[in-house]
Amino acid sequence: MRPLLERARDNLRGREVVAVMSGKGGVGKSTVAALLAVGRGNTALVDLDIFGMSTPRLFGVVGRLHEVEKEGIRPFEVGGVKLFSLGGVVGDRYVVLPGANEGGVVEAILAFADLRGVDRVVVDMPPGMGEALLALERVARFKPVLVSTPSAMSVKVVSHLAEYLVERGAKPAALVLNMAYVECGGGRVYPFGRGDDARRLAERLGAALVELPIDPELESYVGRIGEYRGPAYRELLKAGL
Amino acid sequence: MHEWSLALSVVQTVDRWAREHNAEVKRVVLSVPVVSQLDLSILREAFDMLKMDSRLEKATLDVKVRSPRYRCRACGYVFGHEEVSSQIEALVGKYGEEYPLHLVPELLPAFVKCPRCGSHDIEADLAIQVEEIETI
Ligand SMILES: [Zn+2]
Repeated sequence: MRPLLERARDNLRGREVVAVMSGKGGVGKSTVAALLAVGRGNTALVDLDIFGMSTPRLFGVVGRLHEVEKEGIRPFEVGGVKLFSLGGVVGDRYVVLPGANEGGVVEAILAFADLRGVDRVVVDMPPGMGEALLALERVARFKPVLVSTPSAMSVKVVSHLAEYLVERGAKPAALVLNMAYVECGGGRVYPFGRGDDARRLAERLGAALVELPIDPELESYVGRIGEYRGPAYRELLKAGL
Repeated sequence: MHEWSLALSVVQTVDRWAREHNAEVKRVVLSVPVVSQLDLSILREAFDMLKMDSRLEKATLDVKVRSPRYRCRACGYVFGHEEVSSQIEALVGKYGEEYPLHLVPELLPAFVKCPRCGSHDIEADLAIQVEEIETI
């Protein structure tokens, strides 16, 4: 009997779990996850992307370690979000981890995260379809939000992930097309293509397609993403995500 | 303090099992890997507090601290805890009480290298498990 698996299930029961996923890395998944958590109230962001470690950077908590109390891991309260991050367990260092261990790590974080007062849990997943995804399936029913860029390659990889999720009965709620366009002189410029592949995929899935603009301002919010309310944030909010 | 959250997981999990099986629990055997460096007296104290009003009220907790064999998947070397204990001690010194393997023993390969070839590709049984439940 594995008490952490059971406890992770208990901990997430009755809470909305939104899993932010991508087929491949480098598509802005962590930014999307952060923007799905900030400014919402009663929301926790659980960063399970141990390899990317972007979330601590976005929130300016690099190198800070979580405190642990009787009730479990205490979140970083930052920008109105309760943030739990593997980075807050290992600190600012590289992590190399055999796939088989990833599941146990995911279970432990979700088991020990002190989620009192939290209704909604946004999970920033590592890219791809490995042990972390299987572990999340073991502990909770979740609402997948897929993130891709308009590049054909990225959309193709995310389509495999989508097929798998549909097969598993976890239909993606939305496909977020990051870096879709730039606002320019009152018009839109699509530097990476119109995103037709993504649109077709979203239609096939019956999922909302949410196009996020490239916002040059966003970079200046790295370290204080909780304060960002720019166009990327507003598009996600408008989509009801 | 992590001992408390672990004890809570154990009590809740076993209590649910006991209710499903309509049983009273007399003894719980918990197996933990040595790298987690749990304070067993705190773990027992927490268990004894948290078991009140559950099907574990009369239960004792036995904790087996196992010293797993580690295997390097890169060079095949099999070794015991004593060969990496200095690496673990250095880690504890650097992080303090909440050092990562205390909280998540399965992170071990991220911090420990094979003493022979230096690879992080290390295999070991690091799960925290309830091994045995004895009922009345
Ligand atoms: Zn080796």
